[in-house]
Order: sequence, then C-alpha cells, then structure tokens
Amino acid sequence: MVTVTIDGHEVQVAEGVNLVEAARAAGVEIPTYCYHPGLRVVGQCRVCFVEVEGMPRLVTACSTPVKDGMVVNTASDRVREARQAVLEFLLANHPLDCPVCDQAGECYLQDYSVEFGTDSTHMVDDRRRFPGRERNELGPHVIQNQNRCIHCTRCIRFTQEISETWDLTMKSRGNHAYIGTFDGEPLDNPWSACVADVCPVGALTVKEFRFRARVWHLDETPSVCPGCSVGCTIDIGHLEGIVHRFTPRENPEINGWWMCDFGRFLAEDLNGRDFEVPRLRGERGLQDTGWQEAMAALTELAEVGSPLRVVASANATNEALYLAKRLFLDRPGAEVVVPVHRGEEHRVKNAQRQWVAGADEHPNSTGARLMGFTTVDTEGLEAFLRGGRGPILILDGGAHPWLLSQEAARAVTGQKVAVAARKASPLTGAAYLVLPLASWIETEGTLTSSTGRVQLARRGLFPRGQAKPAWEILALAGRQLGVEVPTPLTPRTFFEAMAAEVPPFAAMTWRRLATEPGIPVLEEVAHVG
Amino acid sequence: MTAGGAMKPILLRARGEDKSRSISTYLRMGGYGALKKALIMDPAGVRKEVKDSGLRGRGGAGFPTGVKWGFVPQDLPKPKYLICNADESEPGTFKDRAIIHTDPHMLIEGIIISSYAIDAHVAYIYIRGEFWEEARILEKAIAEARRKGYLGTNILRTGFDLEIHVHRGAGAYICGEETALIESIEGKRGQPRLKPPFPAVVGVFGCPTVVNNVETLACVPHIIEHGAAWFAAIGRNERNSGPKLYGISGHVRRPGVYELPMGVTFRELIYEHAGGIREGHELKAFIPGGSSCPVLPADFVDIPADFDSVAEAGSMFGSGGLIVMDDSVDMVWALENLMTFYSHESCGQCTPCREGSDWALDILRRIRRGYGRPEDLETLERISRYASQGMTICPLGDAFCGPISSFLKHFRNEFEDYIAKAKPLPPRTTPVLPVRSGRGRFGI
Amino acid sequence: MSLARTQPLTIAPPEELLEVSFDDGMEEIIEEHLRHYPTRQAALLPVLWLCQERWGWLSAGVLRAVARRLELAPAFVEGVVTFYTMYQTAPPGKYLLQVCTTLSCALCGASGLLERLKEKLGIDPGETTPDGRFTLLGVQCLGACGEAPVIQVNNDYYTDMTTEKLDQLLDELP
Ligand SMILES: Cc1cc2nc3c(=O)[nH]c(=O)nc-3n(C[C@H](O)[C@H](O)[C@H](O)COP(=O)(O)O)c2cc1C
Ligand code: SF4
Ligand code: FES
Ligand code: FES
Repeated sequence: MVTVTIDGHEVQVAEGVNLVEAARAAGVEIPTYCYHPGLRVVGQCRVCFVEVEGMPRLVTACSTPVKDGMVVNTASDRVREARQAVLEFLLANHPLDCPVCDQAGECYLQDYSVEFGTDSTHMVDDRRRFPGRERNELGPHVIQNQNRCIHCTRCIRFTQEISETWDLTMKSRGNHAYIGTFDGEPLDNPWSACVADVCPVGALTVKEFRFRARVWHLDETPSVCPGCSVGCTIDIGHLEGIVHRFTPRENPEINGWWMCDFGRFLAEDLNGRDFEVPRLRGERGLQDTGWQEAMAALTELAEVGSPLRVVASANATNEALYLAKRLFLDRPGAEVVVPVHRGEEHRVKNAQRQWVAGADEHPNSTGARLMGFTTVDTEGLEAFLRGGRGPILILDGGAHPWLLSQEAARAVTGQKVAVAARKASPLTGAAYLVLPLASWIETEGTLTSSTGRVQLARRGLFPRGQAKPAWEILALAGRQLGVEVPTPLTPRTFFEAMAAEVPPFAAMTWRRLATEPGIPVLEEVAHVG
Repeated sequence: MTAGGAMKPILLRARGEDKSRSISTYLRMGGYGALKKALIMDPAGVRKEVKDSGLRGRGGAGFPTGVKWGFVPQDLPKPKYLICNADESEPGTFKDRAIIHTDPHMLIEGIIISSYAIDAHVAYIYIRGEFWEEARILEKAIAEARRKGYLGTNILRTGFDLEIHVHRGAGAYICGEETALIESIEGKRGQPRLKPPFPAVVGVFGCPTVVNNVETLACVPHIIEHGAAWFAAIGRNERNSGPKLYGISGHVRRPGVYELPMGVTFRELIYEHAGGIREGHELKAFIPGGSSCPVLPADFVDIPADFDSVAEAGSMFGSGGLIVMDDSVDMVWALENLMTFYSHESCGQCTPCREGSDWALDILRRIRRGYGRPEDLETLERISRYASQGMTICPLGDAFCGPISSFLKHFRNEFEDYIAKAKPLPPRTTPVLPVRSGRGRFGI
Repeated sequence: MSLARTQPLTIAPPEELLEVSFDDGMEEIIEEHLRHYPTRQAALLPVLWLCQERWGWLSAGVLRAVARRLELAPAFVEGVVTFYTMYQTAPPGKYLLQVCTTLSCALCGASGLLERLKEKLGIDPGETTPDGRFTLLGVQCLGACGEAPVIQVNNDYYTDMTTEKLDQLLDELP
C-alpha cells in the first residue's frame, strides 16, 4: 500500500493503481473518456489531466501510477482550464443533437460538459459528418453514428482484449478516422452489444434499446442474468411495468463489466404474460379461478396417494428450491427432479480477464445441486414424466425448453398436471391446474452461479395480475400440506432458514448479499468445515 | 572555432564523384576505415567518443547522441536494436535523401559503428514509402557491404554480427516520430506511444532501441576517424558542433542542400550559398528548420543557424530545412498550407491534436474565403495554447502550434486585414466530408 | 531530351482479386521478410507492399489473404492499410500523378501544375480518368523541397517541374 494525497484527502491505495482509481478511493472524481478499468490504458482522450506536485507538466491521471507520497491536485485553475480546453476540442466536432441522441442521460460528454466545461464553444465552423455512417447497422445489435464518435477506441480495445474477436478497427486516420469492421462485414460476436456499453457517447448504441425510453426515466433494478449458470451481474432497466434492457453491472469475480448478447437480449422476454390468474380444469376446460381454490386443488393432487412427481426448476431462486426441498425432498411421498438444459456454452470474462464459462443455460443449477436435487437432461425428464401414473407438479413451465414442446404435453396425457407458468404452451393446454408464475423481475431471491457465488436478484416490479413467485407458491402449498414454514413469508426469511440448514450457505447473511457482489459458497463451506 | 564561410565537405564529400554510391568509390575515399578502428575499440569507448564530440541529433530535437546511447540498459538480457530514421517527412527537409543519393555507404558504416556501440545485432532503416529509389539504393549498398564482409556474421573477423534491414513506410509523416516509427515497424498503425517508457528502455519488439536520424549516423564514422575534438571544433561552439546539412527551399535562386559548419548565419545561407532572393523581391520571412519550427521575420536573418541561437530567437533549429519566403507571400495562405499538412498528418489518437489541427484549418480556410471573424484569432491562439506543451502524446501538437502562434505573432496584421474586409458569415450549411479510404491522399 | 522514365502499373481488375493466393515467387519473398523480424506482424507493411506491387492495389480479398498468411485479424490489417496513404484500396489508374502541394512546392508553383493536370485530364484530385490511365492526387511534402515543385509518378520523382515539362512528361509516358 502507498499513501497519496488527492485534493487534500489522504488515501491508502494498492501499489500500481492509477490516479483515477486512487482519486475515486479518495472520493474525488476525475473525468475520463478513453480510460476503462477493464481495458488497456491508452491515454488518448486527454481529459483526465491532473497536477502532481513536483512535475512541471500536467499528467494524464489514467496513465500515471501512484507513487508513495504523491500530492495530486485535480481542481487547480491549470487543471480546470486544460479540461475545459479538451472538452471544447471534443465538442468542436460533436453534433449538438442531445435532444435526439439515444445516449442522452448516459453520455459522458454531456455530463462532463455540464460539470467541467464551458457554456459555449468557440465553434462557428461546420462539424464533421460521415455520410453513410450516421445510422449504420454495424451488426445485428449495434447501431453506429460516427458523427458522435470521440475516438476513445474503447470499443476497439473491447474486441481486441475482451472478446478477442478483433472485429473492430479504426480506419483512415486523423480527424477522418472512423470505427468499422473488416470490409463492412457485420459486427457479430457473442458479446457485441458490450461495445455500446463501453462507448462513452452515443456513437454506438444498442439497436434493441434505441428510442425505447430516455435513460433518465428508467428504473434500474440490480439483478442477475437468467441466461446461464455464469450468472452475470446485471441491472434490469424498466419503465412503467415494461422491461427495456439488461446491462452488465461491474462484478470483478464473475463478469467484470461485461455480459453476452444471448443473456442481454432475454430482457424483452420478461414482458410476455399469458396467465394473470390461476386456471383450473372444469367441465368446460380451463377456467379462471382464485388462489384459494387453486391451492386447494393442488393439495388434493398432492394427497391422492400415489407419489407426486415434482419437476423443480434450475431457474428458481435458492429460496424456492429450499422450500421445494422441505416440501418434497425431505418428506416421503414425492419424487423430484430438476431438469437441466445444457444448451450452448456462454462465457464471459471476469475483471482478471479470465474466461468464466457456463455449464448450462440455467441461472441456478448450481444452487439446485447444492440443495441436493437430482438433475436430469431431456431424456431423463421425459422418462420421469412418462414413468408413472400419479399426479405431476411442474414448478415452472419454462424450466426446460423441452417442456414447451408438443411431446411434453403428449408425455403427460391422461395424468393430472399442475403447472406454474407465465406463458402458454401445449403443456399448460393439457394441464389440470395452471398457476400464474411471476417473472424474473417480479421475483426476489438469491442465485448460485457456476463459480459458486451467491448473488441477490432484486424485485423491480410487482407481479402482474395475481401471479406469484415460486417461493410464495411453495410457501402457501407448504402450509396447506402441513409442513412447517417459517414466517414472515419473505425470501429473506427462507434464505436465513436455508443458511442455517444447508451447509454451503452457512454463515451468509442477507445484508451482506445486499451490499456485496456475490459471496462464494465453497469458501463458506470450507469456513464451516 | 570557425563558423561561416566555405568548408571542405565532409558528409557530402563524394558529391560530384563518378559512381559516388558504389562501394569501390567509398573505399577509395577511405571508407570503412572508421569501422575497422571502431571494432578494435570497446563499445564504451565508441560511445564516449561520440559523446565527447558534442554530436546532437539531426532529426529535429537536437538531443545529444552519446547521451541517448547511454540510456540503453547494458545488463538487460534482451536484444537491442538500432533504427535509422530515414522517414524525412518534415516539410522543408530533404537532406537525408541527399546523403542516401550521394554516399549510402557512409550511412551504412555509421549504422554499423553505432550498432556496435550499443550492442545491437539487428538494425532497421525505416525509410518513407515515397523514397522507393532511395530504398533500392540502400538495399544495393547493404548487399555490397555484406559481400565485402562489413555486414553479416563475424564482421571483419572481430566476432561482431549485424544485419541491416530496410523497412519501407507507406505514407505517414507521423512515422518520423520515433515511437510511431517503432509501431510501424511492428506492423501497426503509426500511432505514437505514451512515454515513459522511452524507446531506449522499451522500444521495438519490447526491447531497448535507439532511433537516430540518417545525418546523425552519417556523422559517426567521421567522429571515429578524426576524433571527438576534431568534430567539436567544427561549428560555432561545442554545444553546436560539427558539419551540418542545410536544406534551403522556397524563394531563393539556388535551392538545395549545403554542407556548412553549424552556426553560419541565415544571411550567409540565403544570400551567399543559395544565391539570394529572386529578382525584384525581398526576404519576408523564413522557417529555420522544417515546417514545425516557428516562422521568423526577415529581421532575424543575421542570427547563426544552430540549435541554441535559433532557440534564443524563439524558434527551433529542427532538422535544418530552411524555407524561405519573399515579399509576395500571403502569410495567411502560408499558414493555411501548413495546417492542411498537419491536419492531414495528425495520427488522430489524441483529442487536442486531432480536433485542434482540423479546427484551425477550418478557421484559416474561412478567413481566406473572406468570412473571418474578429474572435477567430483568439480561437487560433487558444488552439495553439492547448494543443501543445504536453497536452498531447507526441510533439505533433507542438509542431503545428508553433507555426500558428508565430505566424500570428509576427504577421498578425495580415490576418487582421482579411478579417477587416470580411463579409458576414453565410447561412450555415453542414458540409459533407469525404470519408477517406486508404486510396488517394487528401486532394487539395 | 526525354523526360519520362516511368513504366505503367499493372492493375488487376477487381474480379480477379476476390480471392487471391501467393505463388511460389511471392512466398519466397514473404519468407524472406519474415526472417527480418521476430514477429509475424512486423512483416505486414512489406507484405502489403509486395501485394501492391503485384496487383496494383489491395482489394478486400488481398487483405484477407495477407491476414491469413500473417495470422492477423482482417480488420486489424484494414486498420493498418487505411492509416497509410500510399496503399491503394481501390484500383487506381496506370499512372499515379502525385503532385506535392506542401509549402516549398506551393511557393514554387505547385498549384499551377495541379491546375494544369486538372484541366488536361478533366478530373479532380482523388479521381481517375475514365480510360483508367491516370489517377491525380494532391500529396504532402515528398522530401525533395530543394527541387520544388515535385511530382511523383508511380515510384519516380520528377523535380523542378514546370507546366512545359509536365506536358512533355504526359506526352512521353508509354
Ligand atoms: C512529428 C514528428 C516527426 C518527425 N519526423 C522525423 C523525421 O522525418 N526524421 C527524423 O530523423 N526524425 C524525425 N522526428 C524526430 C524523431 O522522433 C527522433 O527524435 C529522431 O529520429 C531521433 O534522431 P536524432 O537523435 O538522431 O535526431 C520527428 C519527430 C516528430 C515529433
Ligand atoms: S499529438 Fe497528434 S500525432 Fe501525436 S499522438 Fe497525438 S494525435 Fe497523434
Ligand atoms: S482518460 Fe486519461 S487520457 Fe483518456
Ligand atoms: S514541399 Fe514539396 S517536396 Fe517538400
């Protein structure tokens, strides 16, 4: 550790960190454009100038490592003037189209101009334009407006250092230079939308999000990507009940600053809902009903005598799985499996630039295993469903892609099936009871990633209609079945009960989860011994 | 010490000789004698001799060559490289081309001795892409030297090995800057690196590297042959020593490359050697050492042409490429011409240089079209203040800021005249810039 | 006295350069370049020169082949190619008429040369005559300012130019 003084604040920081990070530790913000903590330092934009005592010239904070005893001034007149000048240079050619720019509200040029810049620029000359590159589809997910580019090269460095796909480059040079792909081929790599995340201005934007909402109107809910067992830390952006986007949130151990396109574009899917109230089969087919009737019907099913077959879900939270364990795994009279779909391998780099690969396409298959559930693949699932005569409870009609198929419906013909689901499928059509299931953003709870980290996903929206999250359905069912369920009925209650009972989660607390970017389970197991 | 007057040519001694480029001519004139002498000295001795000679880099910055060589870490278990900078792309500079055309072996010998001094076993000559003929001349000379045993393994049976490779640039002024040059050798876009680390420690391929100008290296055999004291005695004083190639261009009667002791006056250069200003005109201004050096008005013509004297006058000696302008020159036009060059040549990585050069050019074009505004000169001054002096990664920012501020300082009235006669601004249109592809250079 | 000493470039038509491979002669030269450097990437500029000498310009197909040969990303190669002004990424004319427009040449009448060429050829800088014979370019300082004004035609310098010499040169070019 070394000690540096920044604007009069003394801080201790690790050796080798740069002045931007040291200042951050001291609570001082230094503006940056080209610097990104996840990318190589290039020191190109020249906006991060600071004064270091004993150095005759201003230095760029991003490219200057701390030295013990350094005294740094980020607010002197000299620094202010230099920053203003750099901003003025940047604005000299930047279109002043904030009112129609999709980045407005998340634009560092806009922010810093307000915070550090001058009011008016000295520019009467015409701004540079790049015809043909003003609304250019760089790839399936990314739109380019080269007029707004400030040449920070973050996007290029992302494709070189993080995705390692090397698909972006700077073409031409000087003020005419622009970002492009080889021969105009589409930018299509598994992490392509991250280039829009790293773009500090509105030059690269995510096609799927364009013009859907002004950023400052969005509510952002901290969550975890539901796409695979990596469990990237994300924010879910939503507005008036509609989910608009997923964006990666910094998590050094799991996803660094990144996420893959597969996960990112699951966002839209959260908006669909076919069931808002429970539906029970009567003489005239499936009919809307109330939760009381629904739970009574579910209890009846569970108590018919022949063993209940339960399909739990690797998409459910630890808390829901914990309740499923208490209800079905720990008591005789039920058989339980968790279907796991391998799917494609999705991977992402952590902050140390190591790849973190998913084992399957579920956010909590690791949690399910730690809880003691047996996992099955497609064949296992089908055999499980066909292999008996008794009633079936499917905790999530979308727990496995095969469940959405015609075969799944055929596999259960003639059997009484209760299924919790958000979307209609052949299976829900054949069901005896359909329970409206809350969506990912309507659920609060913890997930265990394939790297063994437990993270908290917050609820951002109340369930639409009468939908309920799996943990709540299970808690209600538990009461009906006479299983002891701790109160009050909240995810936190069940999490704490789980932590007390299931060794890998021992010694974790909800409060820590709410403030830390994921707590490793295995470490805790070791700790418990 | 002597300055001025004629001197016996040293660097251009072969000029006018029959087949001056061939190795036999070079050998006849005593060539490769210095190499023999150097190889029996130890490398430290060679470094000391060069340091004592006071030789300062001829590429523009005037950094003492022996001192630069001393920065190369001696104990690092990494190969070391010598790079000869033959990019010669600073407008007004054309002296290295003269050396290559008249006496390529002098340069080769200089490279071999210098490589020996810093313990390099591979040297590159980075030559601008346009110098196709010169690259061929060098390759031929290298092959000749190789055949005679001056290059390759076990040179002159001393155990010293060296290969020299010619690496052609492909059209980029910025590749004259040593770290951009290094990037270019590595096969990248020629964008200058952040310093530190300096090339002497981390240069090409991550190894210690010395970059020296053609003329600098061509001086080395003479220093070894005649001794440091001999070299230091040529020129105005020991900080401004040695023979110097002055390239004189523009409005003089006899433009060309002249070899004179460092420190002749600009008056002698212009009026004696280059034959004076063309008939009916008078000297108005001159740029002392390549286009990046601040312009000086005619009153400065009596100062000595060397590093320190020109610096005292508020300009730079640079590469010694003197651009002469007579009284017919519109200085606003001249600055616009230079800014066209710099905005075209900015590598574009850092904001002040990329934006500032282009912005300044826009303003100058507008002034010349008759739409200047009184605040324009302040804006130009602001640009020149904030695109220079460490605001940028490499000195290209300073290279155009010096011209802007000096043109404004010495010839402000010409800018003001334009603005006084200006029309009101036309309605705004947003012009469409052609997106340059690799093809074709910026048409004027 | 005759002035012209420049041979026309051979310019491969685009359809021939969709996909290219290097013949043995080229391979030999590439191998030689590779021996000069400790990394493959460093051979990029020389190999691009080789290709341009061979085909007259660098199509996307050529860049792809170079990228493959040197184990580089095609986008990286294109970034490098477009940084430098001398690599041609579209087929130029048989003669690249490169008129230096920088200060020393401009002081000595470069704009007259350019005007003359524009008028004679009926094209602007950056354009190629319809017959594919000439491409006109305004270029920056060629490093021969003592012999201003200077024109480079393909690889050859023509110095101390005048409009008369220019006319003669255009007439003489084979
Ligand atoms: C923009 C720029 C262009 C330069 N161009 C050249 C050049 O063409 N030739 C050259 O020798 N040095 C050039 N230099 C200087 C080199 O960076 C370097 O200082 C020089 O090659 C060192 O050699 P010397 O010590 O022998 O002078 C340039 C520097 C800058 C900043
Ligand atoms: S000063 Fe100009 S040329 Fe030098 S690194 Fe910055 S942008 Fe490139
Ligand atoms: S953030 Fe430091 S130079 Fe860009
Ligand atoms: S200005 Fe034309 S060659 Fe230098």
